[in-house]
Amino acid sequence: MQTVIDAHNLVKIYDAETIPVYALNNVHLHIEKGEFIALKGPSGSGKTTLLNMIGGLDHPDQGHVEINGVNITAMKDNQLIDFRLNNIGFVFQAYNLIPVLTARENVEFIMLLQKRPKQERNNRVTELLTEVGLADKIDKRPASLSGGQQQRIAVARALATKPQFILADEPTANLDSLSAGNLLDIMAKLNKEEQMTFIFSTHDQRVIDRARRVITLEDGKVVGDEKRET
Amino acid sequence: MLFKIAWRNIWRNKTRSIVILVAVAIGLWAGIFLMAFYNGMIEQRIRSAIESEISHIQIHHPEFRKDYDLRFFLPEGQSMVESLKKEAGVKFAGGRMIINGMAASAAGSAGVRINGVTADSEAALTKLSGKIVSGKYFSGEVKNEIIVGKKLAKKLKLELHSKTILTFTDHDGDIASGAFRIVGIYQTVNTPYDESNVFIRAEDAGILAGLPGQFNEIALLLEKDEDLDRVSAALLKKYPLLEVNNWMEISPEMELLVMAMDQMMIFYMGIIMLALAFGIINTMLMSVLERTREIGMLLSLGMNKLRIFGMILLETVFLVLAGCPAGILPAMLTILYTRKKGIDLSIFSDTFSSFGYSNVVFPSLKPGQFGMIMLLVVITALISALFPARRALSLKPAEAIRK
Repeated sequence: MQTVIDAHNLVKIYDAETIPVYALNNVHLHIEKGEFIALKGPSGSGKTTLLNMIGGLDHPDQGHVEINGVNITAMKDNQLIDFRLNNIGFVFQAYNLIPVLTARENVEFIMLLQKRPKQERNNRVTELLTEVGLADKIDKRPASLSGGQQQRIAVARALATKPQFILADEPTANLDSLSAGNLLDIMAKLNKEEQMTFIFSTHDQRVIDRARRVITLEDGKVVGDEKRET
Repeated sequence: MLFKIAWRNIWRNKTRSIVILVAVAIGLWAGIFLMAFYNGMIEQRIRSAIESEISHIQIHHPEFRKDYDLRFFLPEGQSMVESLKKEAGVKFAGGRMIINGMAASAAGSAGVRINGVTADSEAALTKLSGKIVSGKYFSGEVKNEIIVGKKLAKKLKLELHSKTILTFTDHDGDIASGAFRIVGIYQTVNTPYDESNVFIRAEDAGILAGLPGQFNEIALLLEKDEDLDRVSAALLKKYPLLEVNNWMEISPEMELLVMAMDQMMIFYMGIIMLALAFGIINTMLMSVLERTREIGMLLSLGMNKLRIFGMILLETVFLVLAGCPAGILPAMLTILYTRKKGIDLSIFSDTFSSFGYSNVVFPSLKPGQFGMIMLLVVITALISALFPARRALSLKPAEAIRK
């Protein structure tokens, strides 16, 4: 299998000068293409911090992260922004769509940043919104959509650039059971059909139950790493 | 897409955007109108100076203006005037005998400039005949007629048909004096001018000064202001031994006045723009702070800092440009209306006339000045946007996304 993410000896300390809190304490992680991973653990265990490190949104105090063999920890801010644009898809707990853009424009936006041709953008937007079951909401703005629908658009946006992997921070936390189920179905399908790697941080047992690998964090340390067949 | 996001973003909080649009509109209206008002004042003052006092060009003996010594007259004055009347671009030409002297009455005396003029020429050059507020213009029927300013008449308690004594040093350096009967009292918008200038016929002045039929000043009014440099150059070539001065050289205080007004305008525009800048900074900073999470998300997704910066700048420019029509249109309408009707400031007429200004101001604005205000507003907007944009750029995506 192709290695997508290699995290080496990650340490992140908050309030280092007063009472140091280890958000991550010597974390090693090896993730391969096509994995469907749930990061679980209690609040404050370091799930989001780890996602931020892998996603290049934050810098570790020690250690480094390699994506497809590229050390992103050594990159400067602007390099990281470009790297994220072309390699990583993000799905946030609060959906975080651009409220002034329609569903189509939200999905298209990230491809525009990549300067993809118009025809390609149009095809991809239609394909993705159909895939997430929102072809009929293409010209709706986020405010007129339900939470589940917004999150599906967020997934479509994350997939638009065909990233190496998708990081989803508590993606089902604000969704009802039906919406969460639908969303997980879509992501599981994409994972299976397109070999898209998904990494979730979650408390949600529904997500954990669907994951094929469950990594448990406590006090910034990996205390469990279970691979299973679903 | 960046344009679309920026434009839509400014309408997310309509009330706040409308408040700043109104501020922009009022600022622009005030800026444009104020500039038009001062511009109108200056233009009127200059027009008044050219058309009522000094004309476009004056020709003298090179030594004359140093001491206004009567020995330095223009020997060929009469023929020069006739020749100058035919010069291309010249509307009117007239000769004068200018003498510095004293006007006296039973009530007192005052230093005055005695303008010995040709009645017809002066009526054309300075429209003196139209400024008579009491009595009449030169009749030519009797000798020693004089027209005095209203202010001087008041000062020396001179009345129509009464006499005043003019005293001065003549061509030979002797004291000369003559009694002149007041046939008319004139009034211009320039009180100091009225107080210090009296008009007699050139023939009378020449006889008293010992220079009958001579002029020491020739004044020219041109068809168009734009011809000034061309005609001046032609006259300098034609009369190399004489002094040819344009109105700015004759009246350098006019240029100073324009400069002073320009500086005052810069000061006022600075205040308006400063107020505008604070309004924009406040609005855009609020907008950025409210959208911390959104900006964090954009950074996370891969929108680089230059684009974020550009987005904030665009929003600011759109916000300001949206307010521009609301400011420009009323300003233009106000200027068009007041340009026709004038703004009557009679209540301040004493103050205005003591500086040579008319108490009815007709605002006017040149296209260049209008463009300058627009440019100033856009520059102010861009500079004001820098602080909020910088604030947006300082956000860390991991922290911002959780706000």
